[in-house]
Amino acid sequence: CGGARADSPLPFPQEEETKRLLEPAASPPNKVLNGAEQSYHNLPSARTDEQAMLSSILAKTAINIIDVSAADSQGMEQHEYMDRARQYSTRLAMLSNNLTHWKKLPLLPSLTNQPHQVLASDPVPFADLQQVSRIAAYAFSALSQIRVDAKEELVVQFGIP
Amino acid sequence: PGLTAAVSPRSMKSPAVVGVLCTDSQGLNLGCRGTLSDEHAGVISVLAQQAAKLTSDPTDTPVVCLESDSGNIMIQKHDSITVAVHKLAS
Repeated sequence: CGGARADSPLPFPQEEETKRLLEPAASPPNKVLNGAEQSYHNLPSARTDEQAMLSSILAKTAINIIDVSAADSQGMEQHEYMDRARQYSTRLAMLSNNLTHWKKLPLLPSLTNQPHQVLASDPVPFADLQQVSRIAAYAFSALSQIRVDAKEELVVQFGIP
Repeated sequence: PGLTAAVSPRSMKSPAVVGVLCTDSQGLNLGCRGTLSDEHAGVISVLAQQAAKLTSDPTDTPVVCLESDSGNIMIQKHDSITVAVHKLAS
C-alpha cells in the first residue's frame, strides 16, 4: 500500500493502476505493435502512415486507461479501512454542504387549501365541456386545412453555358 | 388564419376564458393565448394522452379538468391535436 500523501485528496493505493498500458511510442510506430514483422520497413508510405495513425490512436487511448485489473490489493488492516472510510465520508459531507441549491426541490404548486370544498362543489359545467369540445373540433379542422401552396418549381437549372 | 381564429379571439371572447393552447401529440405548441404558453404544451399533450387510456372506446375522448378555487383548465384531444382552455370560475 502506498500510503496517503498530504497533497493528494484521495490516496491511490497502488501505482500499478496508473501505470501505462503501453510504453510511450518514442520509436517508430511499428515497434509498438505486437508481433510486428520486419517487413514493415519495406511497405509503401501510405500503409505506414495509416499504421502510424492507428498506433498513435492506440497510444492516446492507452495513456488514458487505468488498468484496474492490475491493482494488487494487498489488503488493509481494519483500522486503516475504517480511517479511510471516515475520511471519504467527511469529504463527501463537505462537498454536499456546498450543493445546497439541489436540496431545495421545488414544491408542487398548491391549487387550493380546501380540497374537500373543491371536490364537493359543483362539477365543471357541461356547457364549458361542450365549449372546449367545440374549440378542439374547430382547431383540428383549421389545422387540417393547412396546405402548401406551391407557386414555383423547387428545383431549377442554372443557366451555366 | 383559421387556426388563429379558432384559438383566439373567438374562444377568448367568452368572458371567463383567460387562456387557450393548441398542441400536437408530441407537445409542440401550435398556438396559445393568455395564461397558457409554450411551457405548458408538453404537460397538456401528455395529460390528454394518458387520460385516453382510461377507456378502450376511441370515440369516447375524455375532457381532462384541472379544477382549482379560481377556475378550471379543460383539456381535450381531437385526433392529432390537443386543446386546453383555462376558464375562470364565474
